Amino acid sequence: MTTTTTSRPPITQNGLKPVIWYSLLTLAVVAAAYATRDFDWKVVWDSRLFLARGLGVSWLIAIAGILIGMVFGIAFAVARKYQLGPIRWIAIAYIEIVRATPHLMIFLWVYFVYPEVTGEWISPGAASVVSLSVIASAYLAEVIRAGLDSVDRLQLESGYATGLGPLTIFTYIVLPQALRNMVPALVATFVMIFKITTFVHVLGMIDFFSAVTIVNTRDLAPYALYTIMAIVYFLCCWALSTFIHWLDPKYTLMTN
Amino acid sequence: MDFQIIWDNREIVIDGLALTLGLSVLGIAGSFLVGVLFGCLQTSPNYFAKKLSDLYIEIMRNIPILVKIFFLYFVFGMDAYPAALVSLILHQSGFIADVVAAGLRSIAREQLEAAFATGLHKIQTFGYVLLPQAVRIVIPPLSSQFIELTKNTSVVMLIGMQDLTFASQNINIETYRYLEAFIVVTAFYILIMFSIVALMNGLRRLMEQR
Repeated sequence: MTTTTTSRPPITQNGLKPVIWYSLLTLAVVAAAYATRDFDWKVVWDSRLFLARGLGVSWLIAIAGILIGMVFGIAFAVARKYQLGPIRWIAIAYIEIVRATPHLMIFLWVYFVYPEVTGEWISPGAASVVSLSVIASAYLAEVIRAGLDSVDRLQLESGYATGLGPLTIFTYIVLPQALRNMVPALVATFVMIFKITTFVHVLGMIDFFSAVTIVNTRDLAPYALYTIMAIVYFLCCWALSTFIHWLDPKYTLMTN
Repeated sequence: MDFQIIWDNREIVIDGLALTLGLSVLGIAGSFLVGVLFGCLQTSPNYFAKKLSDLYIEIMRNIPILVKIFFLYFVFGMDAYPAALVSLILHQSGFIADVVAAGLRSIAREQLEAAFATGLHKIQTFGYVLLPQAVRIVIPPLSSQFIELTKNTSVVMLIGMQDLTFASQNINIETYRYLEAFIVVTAFYILIMFSIVALMNGLRRLMEQR
């Protein structure tokens, strides 16, 4: 099949422009470092262990939420894509309601309503992981459904023709191809989940964000602490985003 | 289940709803304008404009909204409302810029060449050929960005603004009726999201008719 390429790269000579741009950028960073030299950086250094532990908690709950959300996300995506009767409607309702509810509300739902319904207390840590899994599963279900849609029907039919069962076809033929197609959207969702971990602050979990606010309450150095917080979150998410570019050179548009 | 309590406290919910709606509408308008600006810069042939827009998008996409809002409120010492609005606009305009840039890039280069061949100059080409087509392509991903912005308005609760999420907490504190308050507030949020989707779908149909 021959197609005319509509998105060929523009033929331009950049010349010295990148050199100028990156010099300006370096200059801006140096100027920013110089302008902020009077901030109370000692406070950050003194509480580095506390902050590092907070960052560890952030990564831990993010990874836990992503792993659990991935399992349920695959289940919901399969339930929504393949005609499984009433299960399909339950999956659609779940995905749409979770995606239409603010993330903060989901954290509050889990933390406050679970004890009222079951009569048992839920720890902030458990509530955080459960809420993150709920959010992740709904968003990942949509990403995975789009990935499953991208696999050609012929693949399925060929699988049946060679005499494989439905489960074998799904796990060995459809899923591996779908996973490869949805890598960019998948990792973009992971970045989103990592950013949402800041919301566990409202439940009293000491993640990196809460750790910074706690140190700030004690030592009152908002300039240094909040600057460091923004830089660390940027670097963590940027590392993940760069990972996407590296994995997928076709990368153009990602979902939220 | 006793929704009478919510009805008795309806002022709290209505005030919260008004604040959430006001923030969302202003935020959507502001982030759309800023997003279109950086989306256009992103696709411009100028190297520095493209790099500047790259930098803006990377920074805005990779910092959580909570960090931005705390930064503006506690470090810059802005008032609660402007801090909330500005951080919402900064946060979502990064994503919207990406969506708009992808929409502009999706238009075939032949369209551009044809427009130049008929003698339109750059600004006319952009306004009459590129933008109307791009807007049509961009509407579905744009509506999901607007929904994200509206959802993110709930974080303004953490700097003490009395929005819809705060209303649910307020009713909890006064009456201890968690479940009813949460159901009512969540229903309002879902209603807002579905009306955004309906409005954007209506807009798309309107543009397709023309």
